Amino acid sequence: MPHRRLHPGRPFLVLGLVLGAWLVVPTIVKRFLRISFFELQAPVSLSASYVRDLQDYWSLRTRSTNELIAAGRDLVRLNASYEATLQQSESLRQQVTRLEALLRLPAVGGYRSEVARVARRDFNGWWQRLTVRKGRNYGITVGSPVIFSGGIVGKVAEVNATLSVIDLISSPGVRIAATLDGDTRPLSYQGGENPAFGPAVGIAEYVPTDASASPTSPKRLVTSGLGGVFPPGLTIGEIVRLETSTDGLFKTGEVRLDPRLTELNEVTILVPLSPN
Amino acid sequence: MPERSQERPGSLVESHKGYDPRLILFYFGVATLLLTLAGGLTYQQLLKTDTYHAKERIQNQRRVLTPGPRGNIYDRNGNLLVGNRPRFAVTLNLDELRPEFRPEFLKIRMAYRKTDDVNLPTSSELEQIARFTVVQRYLDQINRSLGRSEELDGQTLTRHFRQQLLLPYVLVDDLHPEEYARLIEQLPVASPLQVYTSTTRHYPYGSAAAHTLGFVGTVSIEDSLPEGLPGEELKTFAMKGTAGRDGLELRFDDRLQGETGGTIYRVDNAGYRVNPPLHKRLPVQGNNLVTSLDIDLQRAVEASMATLELPGAAVALDIATGEVLVLASKPDFNLSDTAPRISSAKYKEIDEAGGWYNRAVKGTYAPGSTFKIVTAMAGLRDGTIDPEAKVNCQGALKIGRRQFPCHDGHAHGEVNLAEAVEKSCNVYFYEMGVRMGPDAIAAEARRFRFDRPTGIELPFETKGMLVPDPAWKRRITAQKGLPPDQRAIEERWFEGNTANYAIGQGYLLVTPLQMACFTASFARGETETLPTLIHQPDRPRQATSPLGIPPAQYQAILEGMEKCVLTGTAKILSSPTLRIPDLRIAGKTGTAQVSTPKGTINLAWFIGFVPVEKPEIAIAVMIEGDTPGEELGGGRYAGPVAHSIIKAWWDKKKAAAQRTLTVSK
Repeated sequence: MPHRRLHPGRPFLVLGLVLGAWLVVPTIVKRFLRISFFELQAPVSLSASYVRDLQDYWSLRTRSTNELIAAGRDLVRLNASYEATLQQSESLRQQVTRLEALLRLPAVGGYRSEVARVARRDFNGWWQRLTVRKGRNYGITVGSPVIFSGGIVGKVAEVNATLSVIDLISSPGVRIAATLDGDTRPLSYQGGENPAFGPAVGIAEYVPTDASASPTSPKRLVTSGLGGVFPPGLTIGEIVRLETSTDGLFKTGEVRLDPRLTELNEVTILVPLSPN
Repeated sequence: MPERSQERPGSLVESHKGYDPRLILFYFGVATLLLTLAGGLTYQQLLKTDTYHAKERIQNQRRVLTPGPRGNIYDRNGNLLVGNRPRFAVTLNLDELRPEFRPEFLKIRMAYRKTDDVNLPTSSELEQIARFTVVQRYLDQINRSLGRSEELDGQTLTRHFRQQLLLPYVLVDDLHPEEYARLIEQLPVASPLQVYTSTTRHYPYGSAAAHTLGFVGTVSIEDSLPEGLPGEELKTFAMKGTAGRDGLELRFDDRLQGETGGTIYRVDNAGYRVNPPLHKRLPVQGNNLVTSLDIDLQRAVEASMATLELPGAAVALDIATGEVLVLASKPDFNLSDTAPRISSAKYKEIDEAGGWYNRAVKGTYAPGSTFKIVTAMAGLRDGTIDPEAKVNCQGALKIGRRQFPCHDGHAHGEVNLAEAVEKSCNVYFYEMGVRMGPDAIAAEARRFRFDRPTGIELPFETKGMLVPDPAWKRRITAQKGLPPDQRAIEERWFEGNTANYAIGQGYLLVTPLQMACFTASFARGETETLPTLIHQPDRPRQATSPLGIPPAQYQAILEGMEKCVLTGTAKILSSPTLRIPDLRIAGKTGTAQVSTPKGTINLAWFIGFVPVEKPEIAIAVMIEGDTPGEELGGGRYAGPVAHSIIKAWWDKKKAAAQRTLTVSK
């Protein structure tokens, strides 16, 4: 039987039919397909992440005993300092509780911390994102703040069954109500347009005109707590340059972010105890 | 020769071969048509490019104008008197909501159809309902975040949508800083909801110097656009700007006015914006203004006047330069009530209280006995007054058929010039006034510029001041068109008129600012002081004509003015509670009676300068009685107000000296 020749226009016809069908597919089906795709893809990301961990493990096995001893010593010191900080925090917590009881104030809304390992980094000119290995299975919710030892990492943008996607504070889509360290006047922080492989920066707006900052004498920028998303006092970055806006009412400046943001392996997600 | 067509037998096809000359005509026709097309294309594409480009721009581009913030106003020490404060609002970019309007429209229409309602709204009405519903949803979101209960005005929304689609629609205005902070964190960056910042006037000192500083009102900015702002031919949407309405805000509007900025957007066929903008020029803040006012002195005197709860005015000048340190008028108004706009109820309330009226520069009043210094100057210059010659005051003086009483009704006995000034003896000045005549007094008053406005940099300074003389009386009587016999009586200038004139009463009218200028001139030993509200650190000392009297005669008046404060009519300033140690004050009180429709009221005056040995500031205070028949002594009412200025000035001077001493150590 002779081989039947495919008509050259047929693939285009099929493509047109598929596209046409996609247009009339209900939104709920499209949404379901998108979520399914992400959930199906999740094991791949997770597996890759675990493989990287294994790779790191074997690479660490090659270290010399002396290096391990030195690292162990450093770790002990670090643990000791953390222990002291923990005790101090406990003491402060008790004092806060006592004052709340004394002044009959409602308890400050708390957070539950969830440490999560980074599975994937996605940095480009439009957004900077991390994917972490915890999702709905750990009660993580969209909008939860994410921190690390250097301050704010970002906030949770998407939550799936086993993974969560975090928008880094260097993303232009992240905006935070901030204050200068030691000041109470609110200002706005927003992620800047960052290159894929460059130092991350943000933009501070509505800075009071009496503030000043320079690369040699930067000003620490912290969360204000007024926005209701981030707790107060967490480090965002350092303002390294300020210029007066054209209306003379405020200053606008550049915020230098922690360079460790691009190489984080673990982050802490603060899950609000009482959802807004 | 063309070949003839060959036809096969039975064939239905006719074929031609070879050259046919008739085709030339066809070629020619086609070529002509093609050339015409090419020409037309060239004409349209090359020659008319600019025209079409301009048409395309007008059709597809829109310009949005943003007013520049006004400049700040400072006092002489750099204190901010008028500034701008941010005004945060939640706005909604309606043009970004188009994808939401259509589905909402369809949903609502379907819902109506399901109800089988025969009165189905028209398509236009359904569109309005859909817009309202979508915008209300966004407002609900804001209300939930802020805990507010703002409501949507459908008419305003429709008007905004039709006329100002490209401008942000204000959902919630004047947010607190905490509210704005909450929203900037909670609203997505790419949301049609945005926190919008505009500026409004900010008055850190509330009502202080309200009349002098003035206020602003809302205006269209399209009439005063900066040069070189592109897009003049485009359809323009302009936000409202502000312009000065009174005071320095009006007088220096050009300097304070910011430069308008503009953004040009491309829009689609429905008028919706296509980002990003094609051109953007940021607005620029206006220039700052440094006034000569001293806000500490201004607040001190206003606080003192407020305790009296009477209308009045107070002015203090730097004697050397004429810079105005204080310009106060009561009642006044709180400038914060005027920004961003004053409500009609508040406007009416201030109007009924007389708060808009700047008595310091618009009010004309009889100066009373403070004018006796001018009369003394006139008498000394024309030789009528000998400082040492005495006049016997018996409590009144009969001039013509009428008794003219002394100011307190008591006989002062034998008084010379200094004593007459000290005790404010009317009889002395009646006598001297009648002797020298009204023309001499008028000439002296004119020499001190009492007959014309001071020229201060404030709008609406009155021109109603009056230095009368017999010629003036004749002139105004002639204007009345009276019968000759009545006119002959009315136009006569009597000696009684001169007597009143000599003590600052009668027809004479001056402003408190003029009295302050006169005091400064006299303290400087000159005849003119041009007041200014603009501060210049290196402003030279004013130099005008000298007084034209010997130092001894000048000292006689000065002695009288100093004694006036120590033991005379202004002795309240030397009372234990008000006395300022180590400071010599020269002053003169005055009490004038003014007929009003309500009855005769008193005006209490005080003029003076300090320190006597080296004058630095000159003061004039006028307090207006509000109850007919109530006695309002210049010393008792205006004196303490003047004291508040002197005290504040002296305290500042001592503090500055102390600082200098500390630094030098």
